Amino acid sequence: MNMAPLLAVRGVSKRFGNTQALADVTLEFRASEIHAVLGENGAGKSTLMHILAGIYRPDAGTVLLDGRRAVFNSPREARRAGIGMVHQHFTLVDTLTVAENLTLSLPQQTGWRYTAAATAAEATALSERVGLDLSPPQSTVAELPVGARQRIEILKALAHAERVLILDEPTAVLTPQEVRKLFAMLRKLRAQGRLIIFITHKLREVREIADRVTIMRRGHVVGSFDLALLSESEMAEHMIGDVVPARPRVTERARGDVVLNVTRLSARGERDLPALLDVSFVVRAGEVFGIAGVDGNGQRELFEVLAGLRAPSGGALSVRGSPVPDFTPRALLAAGIGHIPPDRQHDGLVLPMTVQENFLLSRTLLDRCSRRGLLNAKAARRLGAKAARSADLRGDLDAPARSLSGGNQQRVVVARALAQRPAVLVAANPSRGLDIAATRAVADALLDSACHGCAVVLISTDLDEVLDLSDRVAVLSRGRLSPALEPPIDIEQLGLLMGGVQH
Amino acid sequence: MQALAARFGPSVLALAGALAVSAVIILIAGRDPAVAFGALWHGAFGSADSLSEVAVKTCPLLLCGLAIAISFQAGVWNIGVEGQLLMGALAMAALGTHDLPLPAGVTLGAYLVAAAFAGSLWAGIAGVLKLRRNVNEVISTITLNFVALGLIGYLVQGPLMEAGGRYPQTDAILPALWMPRLVLGHRAHVGLVLALLTAGAMQVLLYRGVAGYEMRAAGLNAAAARLAGIDVDGRLLLSLLVSGALAGLAGGIEVSAVTHRLYEHFSPGWGFTAIAVGLLGRLSPAGVMVAAVFFGALDAGSNAMQRAAGVSSVLVSIIQAVVILSLVALERGRWLPGRRTAQEKHLAGVS
Repeated sequence: MNMAPLLAVRGVSKRFGNTQALADVTLEFRASEIHAVLGENGAGKSTLMHILAGIYRPDAGTVLLDGRRAVFNSPREARRAGIGMVHQHFTLVDTLTVAENLTLSLPQQTGWRYTAAATAAEATALSERVGLDLSPPQSTVAELPVGARQRIEILKALAHAERVLILDEPTAVLTPQEVRKLFAMLRKLRAQGRLIIFITHKLREVREIADRVTIMRRGHVVGSFDLALLSESEMAEHMIGDVVPARPRVTERARGDVVLNVTRLSARGERDLPALLDVSFVVRAGEVFGIAGVDGNGQRELFEVLAGLRAPSGGALSVRGSPVPDFTPRALLAAGIGHIPPDRQHDGLVLPMTVQENFLLSRTLLDRCSRRGLLNAKAARRLGAKAARSADLRGDLDAPARSLSGGNQQRVVVARALAQRPAVLVAANPSRGLDIAATRAVADALLDSACHGCAVVLISTDLDEVLDLSDRVAVLSRGRLSPALEPPIDIEQLGLLMGGVQH
Repeated sequence: MQALAARFGPSVLALAGALAVSAVIILIAGRDPAVAFGALWHGAFGSADSLSEVAVKTCPLLLCGLAIAISFQAGVWNIGVEGQLLMGALAMAALGTHDLPLPAGVTLGAYLVAAAFAGSLWAGIAGVLKLRRNVNEVISTITLNFVALGLIGYLVQGPLMEAGGRYPQTDAILPALWMPRLVLGHRAHVGLVLALLTAGAMQVLLYRGVAGYEMRAAGLNAAAARLAGIDVDGRLLLSLLVSGALAGLAGGIEVSAVTHRLYEHFSPGWGFTAIAVGLLGRLSPAGVMVAAVFFGALDAGSNAMQRAAGVSSVLVSIIQAVVILSLVALERGRWLPGRRTAQEKHLAGVS
């Protein structure tokens, strides 16, 4: 095995707004290896890979290919240098055939004639050259299962990127059988001398497929390790780091009766695959129940079910002992469940409407501020002013919500949720993308509502946030919810749960 | 004040652009723009008679412009106002030859409601197609325009052809059902008052009513509206039904007040001009009122311009087209899904 690095990054940094996505990252990859990059959400894995693939440019630092400095201004330039990337979301044209999709990505497109036979021949030649089986070249992509589509994506990437293949969480959408096939294929590609970089957060997969692993945390590289010398619990520890266990509560909150009772909730997610499996938990009044885990393990679906946006395939939910009749946003609101959605601009606000109007965006509040179908402008104003005060939001309430900063937008969403005086508050990634002050304001609002007897469910991929705010923590992994951990929380156990290792 | 400027600024800009473009075209045609615009102004506002004509032209444009406003605000692109107007006119023409044992005013009111209902029904087809079969309403409403046009062509040459059987048109409705005039000797009619009252009602519905709030929220961000417990589908359908009703009412009034009968090419394209009216009025009922008067005046004055300045009245169509195109271009963010920047995507967790 050639031990000189094929690809290396030296001192690479990248910032997005006030988020430092990568800070002085240095790391080496060798030829003929499968190199896993492991980390939580927001660790910087994807950003680093996007830099290698020419999608982002680093703010500082260099990328070295064969020991020479390489600057990629576009994915095309990276491909020309031999680096290809397969994204989580496929980039295939569903209505075209396999062969046509491959031809689209071939580097040399000469002439203007198109014949199905020539296209199919090119595709077959490519698959033979790479040594990967292809689905029948004439079948339409839309007919193919996900695993087969991924194989086309990989072929596409290899068509011009001969040396390095980057895979961004390739197993997230695959069934176990498809994962086995994928791994067999990756081993074959490794035997041909390629470098394969494999982004994941699943410890088992790292152990099964990788030769070496680089663990990232909050934009930094914790280290690169030989798999032979590393146990799963060591990996988990490196991934999660030295987070302090939940600190003792400043204010003692009285834990009341069970308010929210979720029993054996199941739901299907994207592509109709099971996304939630028999999820059960209870939350008491005055309690913050944290649900940790890595994105893509059912977090989104759990929020959607609790908000009435997704019908569960099984299970029940009751608030203060009375079962919710049906899973619609209206019924859940009426039952006293308020929401802080994960994407405030997409689900939380109507950006062109004024701040004042956005404060009313909830059936509960609309009912409260209207009589016989007509809005009571005075009552609405009063509600808006009160909500703005509680959110510490200064400025013109008649300005469009679009004009607010991200932090202030989130303050509006939070204040509105609390104005409904919910019995249960479901918050999903409530501080994502916020600066420190806004993050603290959101945290204070959640704790404050708990102090007033609200049962808070905090679904977050930010482990610090979960540990900081929650009284009990459970981990959602591959659609299953672990038993709740109570403080003092065993970090190693938490890490293993997040990495998909069940005890 | 600032909000007002932000809302109507693009309209003023589009209007200025349209006038500039038409001035250039008049110059190219070898005429004097000042003379042409002067004749246009005089033709619209120069006399009591011409003012009355402006009122007549404004009435259907105002109602149809409101129809555009209420559907577009709810995010439903109802391009079928023309067809819905024709169905309303058809209802009035078909019913208006029959008497009811009621006072004439009550009968007329009932028939106008029927006309509105007919327009609503026609729009409802597109609504049901959208909600049940996910058919894009732009396609279905445009298509339904042609169906309405064909249906009327068939009816006025067949089952509903006048008793004399000479022209492809219906019999005249009963004189008792003719919409009263505002001033004796002028064509301006009570329909304009109805249209203005309707505009007031729409202003209340959209900006004071819970239903209007929910329509606007659903139109601007359906996902957020849904999460807030708003029945998004129901609101979309309601906006389309109200829109169709306004268009149908416009058709009914036109038959009752102006033509007294229905024939092919009954509408000079009010349903399409209404798109320009709605956009120029920035989809607000108050704005639509001003825009409808503007287009009504253009329409009424264009013949005078043709006579006095030798500039074809087709120029009015050019002004409409430039208004629509420039407003759509200025409002890019609202009409097309905007691109997210890399940073926004990152923050939203897309990358």
